[in-house]
Amino acid sequence: MISAHTLALVREWMPQLIEAAGHTLTMAVFAYLLGAITGLLLALGGMSRRRWIALSCRAYIEFVRGTPTLTQLFLVYFGLTSFGIALPSFEAAVITLGLHYAAYMAEIYRSGISSVHRGQQEAAQAIGMTRREAMRYIILPQSLRVILPPMTNSAISLIKDTSVASLISAPEIMLRANDLASQYYMPMELYLITGVMYFLMAYPLSLCVRYLEYATSRSHRLTAAEATT
Amino acid sequence: MTEWARTYENLPYFLDALLTGAVMTVVVTAGSFVAAVLLGLLFASFKTSRSRLLKAVAYAYVELFRAVPVLTQLFIIYFGLASVGIKLDPISAAIAGFGLNGGAYLAEVFRAGIAAIDRGQSEAAIAIGMTRGMALRCIILPQTVRVVLPPIANFAIGLLKDTSLASAVAAPELSFQAHMLADRTFLTTQIYLLVAAFYLAMSLPLSSLSRLLERRASRGVRA
Repeated sequence: MISAHTLALVREWMPQLIEAAGHTLTMAVFAYLLGAITGLLLALGGMSRRRWIALSCRAYIEFVRGTPTLTQLFLVYFGLTSFGIALPSFEAAVITLGLHYAAYMAEIYRSGISSVHRGQQEAAQAIGMTRREAMRYIILPQSLRVILPPMTNSAISLIKDTSVASLISAPEIMLRANDLASQYYMPMELYLITGVMYFLMAYPLSLCVRYLEYATSRSHRLTAAEATT
Repeated sequence: MTEWARTYENLPYFLDALLTGAVMTVVVTAGSFVAAVLLGLLFASFKTSRSRLLKAVAYAYVELFRAVPVLTQLFIIYFGLASVGIKLDPISAAIAGFGLNGGAYLAEVFRAGIAAIDRGQSEAAIAIGMTRGMALRCIILPQTVRVVLPPIANFAIGLLKDTSLASAVAAPELSFQAHMLADRTFLTTQIYLLVAAFYLAMSLPLSSLSRLLERRASRGVRA
């Protein structure tokens, strides 16, 4: 099945696919940063004592988690044009994916924050910290252990979800594969290569998750052991 | 006439088309769900088997299918297989793609569920003369149900939303119907908002079910 001709073609495709994989990673990095920051704001907002802030954050999270990325992508890319906002496809993809993941990351932050014992918060306030200082210096640093593994998992899902951006013609690897597949009519070869390239981007991260889970559970055991001695 | 007035005027027609699509979304979701559960059980039993070959096969399957986007897998199955002479219709391709992808995810869920059951259970089952297969089927799996139900419900929600990607291979589900309507009427915002409402109406009951299951599972652990 793999002839010299196919190999020559693969050599021709690879530079283009590698360049497009770079765009995939750029898109994922920007979307991840947007998601991580917005997600933290949403998580803190969801815990706010002002009811309308807490309620609107919860509603946002429920809406985003209840609808497909694709629908959101079309709303941002095509829908906003009827309000006179025309975003380029790459930017639309970064914004949509970032705001989509923000909702999931908010839940990760929330579970991380709620995993820290209440006494920590009370102790921080007892020594005169404000709620904000307690969150910043006491709660968030301790919640990192719970937050890190699922946040890395989000990075993996995000890299894979950038493929959806090809459906609004944002330049990334899946779009390039589609173009080449229709140009050479060799979809099997092209999508298999694309699959391998996604694997190379995502698999190292999933090894990271496994290491983080191992490392964080070990430090947990250690602190538990220290506590008893 | 404004876009919103046009939407309101055509609403019965839109709802009709979207409802047809939503039914197909449910069909694709249900089909892939069943396929994913069966594949997940199969590969989870491979993972817990003593055969190193079966373990390696299960490991490769899970890692490969979890590291590649489901859209790429769908295109390999629909466009790729067609180019080597295996022509699937969009619905079957979608069910195959989401089923294979979900199977890899659920295999991990089931494996973790099986690992959560005390070893003594399977030792006791073998001690009273059960084979390993029987012990897994009659003793271990029924006990894992409580552990695996919440992640399975979450998986179903994810799956429901992911089936929107089947529109890329022209499976006539909710998102595909929406593309057609949007192309014909240019009422993009309004139609995709309607579509979002449809997806919410299908996923919110599932997510409250998953929250209920989670509460129940954790209550069982505390008791």
